[in-house]
Amino acid sequence: MTPTPESANLRPLIFAWLTLVGLTVLGNQLGTLLHDAAWLQVMVAGIVWLKGYLVADRFIEMRAAHPFIRNVLRAFIAFAPLALVATAFFGARLARWATL
Amino acid sequence: MSTASLNGLDGPIPDASRATSGRVPGNKGIWVGICCEFVEFLVLFVVYFVARAHFPEAFEQGAARLSRTAGTTITLLMITSSFFIACSVATMRVGRRGASLAWLVAGLLVALGYPVAKWLEIQWNLAQGINGDSGIFFTVYYYLTFNHLVHAVWGILGILWVLARHLAGGYSAEDYGGLEALASYWHATDIIWLVIFPFFYVLA
Repeated sequence: MTPTPESANLRPLIFAWLTLVGLTVLGNQLGTLLHDAAWLQVMVAGIVWLKGYLVADRFIEMRAAHPFIRNVLRAFIAFAPLALVATAFFGARLARWATL
Repeated sequence: MSTASLNGLDGPIPDASRATSGRVPGNKGIWVGICCEFVEFLVLFVVYFVARAHFPEAFEQGAARLSRTAGTTITLLMITSSFFIACSVATMRVGRRGASLAWLVAGLLVALGYPVAKWLEIQWNLAQGINGDSGIFFTVYYYLTFNHLVHAVWGILGILWVLARHLAGGYSAEDYGGLEALASYWHATDIIWLVIFPFFYVLA
């Protein structure tokens, strides 16, 4: 007799997807409302980190992954938000450092 | 705590006994590729930030000239196809092969919307007089987004290959490493787009 397949609980994935859609809409609204405010970059950096973390945690199942994979994902997801904040507050200094 | 409960999923995750040392989602080969992909885009991100630090006005004005609708559409296509493919893995894990196939086909169809949306966006850009020579912002924009499109096309080809194997009965609840490897690559490509999107479409 063929065993009956178990049902997969997709609710965590659905929740993650809905959150990603919501954060995308929120990011767009912030971009429109705050336009040229310096701290828009800080808020966008937070949203970028959260969206990246959600995909890594829920879709790739980062927490169950090998520590090397976990660390690679965490480092990659953190890089752009940190650089966004650094550029927002220390852009001129960064430009001086990066001038040949 | 088992890896299944850790992730809030009911199905068993293979190699759960190795939860303390961790498992490799998919296979080691795909993670070598993903690490190379991450390094490549980290270099491109550094180029973006250096250019942005040197020409802040060009980047603030440039983003306002792009179609945010196009960027948002691509973002929604990427996260939705990523979600569908995650569902394909989750259902295969519990042995629901038909459901897994259906989720994978849905993921492919949504993923195919990305190159279509990008083509429409480029046509719109050209109609507005925006090309690769329109200034530093647009040079960086075209270089980064075309690069991402190339990686996404590789992912779409990967989905087609995995779909063919899936249709041929190549995966089971005990052995679905190829499907999970493809899913990992697609999720990584999704994460990269989620970083690129605000760079060019939100931070005006």
